[in-house]
Amino acid sequence: MPRALKVTLVLFVGFVVLAGALYAALFQLDVRPRLGFAPGFSLTAADGSGLTSEDLRGSITVYTFDHAGNDDPVRGTTPVLRAVKTALDTEDTGGIPVRLVTVAFDGPPPGRLRDAAAAADEWTWATGSPDALRRTVRDGFGAYYERESDGTYRFDPTFVVVDGLGIVRARYRLGLPRPEALVSDVRSLVREAQSAEGTLGLAYEAAHLFSCYSVASP
Amino acid sequence: MIRAVSFLALLVALAGCRPSAADFNGTYLDPPMPAKDVTLAAPDGPVQLSDFAGDLVVLNFGYTSCPDVCPATLATLARAKQLLGEDGEDVQVIFVSVDPERDQPERAANYAAAFDSSFVGLSGEPEAIADAASAYGVFYEKADTAATTEAGYLVDHTATVFVLDREGRARLLWSFGTDADAMASDLRALTRSS
Repeated sequence: MPRALKVTLVLFVGFVVLAGALYAALFQLDVRPRLGFAPGFSLTAADGSGLTSEDLRGSITVYTFDHAGNDDPVRGTTPVLRAVKTALDTEDTGGIPVRLVTVAFDGPPPGRLRDAAAAADEWTWATGSPDALRRTVRDGFGAYYERESDGTYRFDPTFVVVDGLGIVRARYRLGLPRPEALVSDVRSLVREAQSAEGTLGLAYEAAHLFSCYSVASP
Repeated sequence: MIRAVSFLALLVALAGCRPSAADFNGTYLDPPMPAKDVTLAAPDGPVQLSDFAGDLVVLNFGYTSCPDVCPATLATLARAKQLLGEDGEDVQVIFVSVDPERDQPERAANYAAAFDSSFVGLSGEPEAIADAASAYGVFYEKADTAATTEAGYLVDHTATVFVLDREGRARLLWSFGTDADAMASDLRALTRSS
């Protein structure tokens, strides 16, 4: 290949990538960092069916962890997820599925889990054996919980947003997040998924390189 | 002014040399994502993923009694490695069994080596396997008792294949069904860029 052509090609490719980076910088593409793999798991949903991490592959999923029937307005996760659900119900995600999942770490009996799910506007609730819950919730998602001697639970309200590849994209562990922050995470992932192909996809990848790791999740 | 232009030219040249997501058939993670080092068992003793630092590690979870997904994936990986030729010398395929009950380390090792003598098959204690699987987001569980084969029960498991870079970070994901040409192309791009 003639040298002039090679140089032109390198410059052209470089220009495209640089243009992507500039686009990302100028328009501040809103990307969430890839924080690590979400754990693989196998739990049981409120309707008795199995719920595995593979079932949620391809969906953007907001997870939270609570004990069934927790109606504490300060530390309860249900009001936050309810607000997220309300906001997302009117959202056009362009066919990209968005799921909300509460994992009940207290391992409630089926009836109580069903009641909790019904009271929480019917998003997915799931639980499992103590060992599966420890591995999934505490070891896998890094959500702290501890059963006290009086049967109550001490826990840090934790929310985790996972993309369709099973990669954690946002995590909130210090107090309850604002629902708007979670909705914004979901919107960002929806836009990213919709832009996975073509020039905009390159721009998003460039944005990952140039900006996302300096911008913490809200 | 000359400095600024030179800097810009350097940036452009560097950017042009970097592989991008568009160069890959699998899902390219850029920047690479930290991946946990895990310890499993080979016939000769414990093995850590970090033992393979410096190689591109292709990590695949399955079980030796698997009737379809696992042999298909390993056969595809073996073909991809053949296609790579010399470029494949520093590509290390590692098969991790998610069936510790039946797959002792020796069985896992023999199974993987049957596809390509360079492939490493690992197993381990149930806890160690669970840790390894969880670290990569891999789900597995024994299938319903009704679903059995001549070899016994089946194990449902994640079929994603993970490629770790030379520093042990997750770089690339292949979904089940990625063909050998696509894998070879991706691995070639990775070997040449690192």
